[in-house]
Amino acid sequence: MKYHDDLTRRYLKRRWAPWASTLAVTLGVFSLLTVLAVMEGFKVEMRERIRGTLSHLVIEADPFRGLVGEDSLLEAIRTTEGVEAAAPHVTTLALYKVGIMDHCVLRGIDPIPESKVSDLARYILSDEEIDLMLSDRFSMLPPDREPSTAEEIAHVFSIERRRQIMGSRLNEDPGPGFTRESPPQAIIVGIEALRSFRLQMGDVVQISSYSPVTLEPCSGNFLVVGAFQSGVYEQDLRWAYTNIRALQNTLQLWDDSAEDMRISGISIKLDDFQKADEISETLRNKIRSRMSLPEDDPKSIPSRLTNIETWEDKRANLIKAVEIEKRIISVLMLLIVAFASGMIFLILMLLVIEKERDLGVLRALGATRSGIVLLVLKQGMFLCTTGAILGLLSGWIFLENINEFHDFVFRMTGLQLFPPNVYYLERIPVVLRYQDVLLVCLPTLIFGFLGSVLPSMRAGRQDPIKALHHE
Amino acid sequence: MSDSSAPLPVVSVRKLERSFPLANGEKLMVLKGLDLQIYEAEMVAIVGLSGVGKSTLLHCLGLLDTPSGGEITYRSGEKTWKTSQLDEDARCQLRNHFIGFVFQFFHLLPDLNVLENVLLPSQVSMTSKAWNKNRDEFHGRAESLIQRVGLSGREKQAPGTLSGGERQRVAIARALMLSPPLLLCDEPTGNLDSRTSKSIHELLRELHEDYSTSILVVTHDPDLAARADRRLQMVDGRFEAESTS
Repeated sequence: MKYHDDLTRRYLKRRWAPWASTLAVTLGVFSLLTVLAVMEGFKVEMRERIRGTLSHLVIEADPFRGLVGEDSLLEAIRTTEGVEAAAPHVTTLALYKVGIMDHCVLRGIDPIPESKVSDLARYILSDEEIDLMLSDRFSMLPPDREPSTAEEIAHVFSIERRRQIMGSRLNEDPGPGFTRESPPQAIIVGIEALRSFRLQMGDVVQISSYSPVTLEPCSGNFLVVGAFQSGVYEQDLRWAYTNIRALQNTLQLWDDSAEDMRISGISIKLDDFQKADEISETLRNKIRSRMSLPEDDPKSIPSRLTNIETWEDKRANLIKAVEIEKRIISVLMLLIVAFASGMIFLILMLLVIEKERDLGVLRALGATRSGIVLLVLKQGMFLCTTGAILGLLSGWIFLENINEFHDFVFRMTGLQLFPPNVYYLERIPVVLRYQDVLLVCLPTLIFGFLGSVLPSMRAGRQDPIKALHHE
Repeated sequence: MSDSSAPLPVVSVRKLERSFPLANGEKLMVLKGLDLQIYEAEMVAIVGLSGVGKSTLLHCLGLLDTPSGGEITYRSGEKTWKTSQLDEDARCQLRNHFIGFVFQFFHLLPDLNVLENVLLPSQVSMTSKAWNKNRDEFHGRAESLIQRVGLSGREKQAPGTLSGGERQRVAIARALMLSPPLLLCDEPTGNLDSRTSKSIHELLRELHEDYSTSILVVTHDPDLAARADRRLQMVDGRFEAESTS
C-alpha cells in the first residue's frame, strides 16, 4: 500500500535509533563474510599446498613389510588409464644430529620421477633463493615462479653438486670415511630447518633410524645440499628428501624372501585429481589381481598388504580441522547478526509503542490489520536488508583490498595482523564463494524477520479504540 | 409506492446493543437497543452526559467496534451494506470510503505534513502503483480541501507547528478527502477555546451545505448542537428526546 512506503520513509528518516540496528546488521554481515572468505581461502590454499607435497594418490604398504617388486608395480600403475606419472619412495622417521639432535620425516625419492608426481620442482630452491630466504625470515616463493627443470633437480642430488658443497666446507673435517671426492649422499631439507638454525647448507648430518627389516638401529651420513619451501610450515621444518637408493641402503631394506629392495610406497599423479577415488579402486583391483598371479608369471607382484589413499585421506584430519574451525567461527559471527536482530526487535517494539496512536488512526482511516502488520514488518525487513546489502558491499570491498589494508595497518602501527610465521602465508588468502554469501544472507534475513515479526504482530493486534484514546 | 423525492437514510441503526463483560462475570449494557436513522445531507447532533454511550455508538457506527446485538445498515445509492454480513476486509474498505472521522484530539500523524495528512485516506487502500496513476487527481482534491478549510499555503507545514483550531481544520479536510457519505465527529471542539470552536462550528456547517455530507456529531457544546438539523438526547444507552431546528 502507498502509505507503507511513505510512512516507512518518514519514520526512518527522522530517527537515528533504527539505523543503529542497520549498522549492527552491517557489522555482522561484514564480519561473517570476511571470516568465511578468509577461512575458505586458507582452506583452499592449504589443500593446494598439501596436494602439491603429497601427490594425488599414494600406495602404501605395511611399514614393517614394505612393498617389493618396484618395477612390476610401477609398470602396472603407469599403464593404468588416468595415471600421468608414478614414483617410488621410502619414508622413515629419523633422528638427525649435527650440533643438536632433532627428528624429521626422511623421504627417499627418485628425484626426476618424484618431480613429476609432486610439486617438488616448484618448491626446490636455487642457491640464490636460499640466500634470500635466509636473509628475510618471512619471504615466500612467488606463486608464479617457474618450476625447476628435471636437469636442475637431478643436479641438486648429483655427485658434482655434492663435491662442490663439500669444497665450500674449506678445511672442515667431512666426517669419517668421506673426502671431498667421495662426499656423503645428498639431503634436501625444508627451509624452516635452515631458518631455525637447526641445520646449515653443507652440514654433514648423521641420521639414525631403525631398519624395518632387521629391526636394528641403523645410521648414515648425509650432506645438506639444498632446501625446499612447500608453504606448509610443519613440512618445511620436519621433512627432508634424499635419494631413494641411498636411504634403502642406510635402512638396510634388502628383502631376502623377495630378493628385492623394499620401498614404502608409490606416489601417483593423475590426469585429473577429481577422479582419484575412481582410479584408486581400479588400481586396487589391478594390484590385487597381479599379486595373486603365480610367482613365475612375469607380471606377478610379490604379495604384500597395500593401502591406497588419496591426498585428501592423508590429511583428512587437518582439512577437517580447518572446516570445523570455519563452522565454529561462522556460528560465533552469526551471534552478531542475532544481536542485530535483537536490536531490530527492540527498536520496532519501541516504535510500535510510540506510534500506537498513529496506528489507531490508520485503522480508523481504513487500514486493515494485515496492512498494519506489513507496515511494521516492512520497516524491520528494510532495516535488515539495507544492513545486509551494506555489509555485503563493504565486506566485498574490504576482501578485494584486504592485503593492502593489512599493509597499511602495518605501515601505520607496525602491527602485523596476519604474521606469516604463524600462518605461513605471506598474503591473506581470500576465496569468496556464492555458497558463503548465501550462508551469510539467509540467516541474516531470517533473523531480521524473526526480530520484526513480534512487533508487527503486536501492532496488528492493537485495538484501534484503545489506541485512539492513548495519549 | 415510495416517494422518490423523500430523503433516504444513509445509515439505519436497528435495536443496537453493545455490552462489555465485567470482572464479576456480569455484563455492562452500554447501548440498549438503539434505533437511529441518519438521512442524506442531514446533520445530527447527539448530546448527553459523559458515560451514556455516545462514543460507543460512534465507534459502532464507525465500524471500529462490533455491536453485541442489532444491526447497522449503510446505504450509498442502490448499494447497501449490513454489519452482520461484513468481513474484516469489507469493514476496513467501508470505513475507508464511506466514513470520515473527526476526533476531539485531531489525531494528525506528526511525521507527515499537512498535505500528506490530508492525502492519507487515499493512500490507505491503494497500492503505490495505483495511487501514483491518480496522483494529480488526489493532490488536486487535497489542495482544494486545504484551501476550503482556510489553510492555503500551509500544505508543507508540520502539524506540530499549527494551532489547535488549524489542526482540527486539517483533520476535517482529511476526513472529507474521499468524499465519504458519512462524517462522524467525536466532540470536535472539546479541546478548543470558545472562539476557535465557533469557527469550527461554522466550517462544519458550511462544508455540510457545500458537500451535502451527512454528519453525526457527538458533542457537549450547545452551540454546535444548535446548528444541527436534529438533536438527540442520549440517556443511559437510549435516545430520550429529539428536537429539530
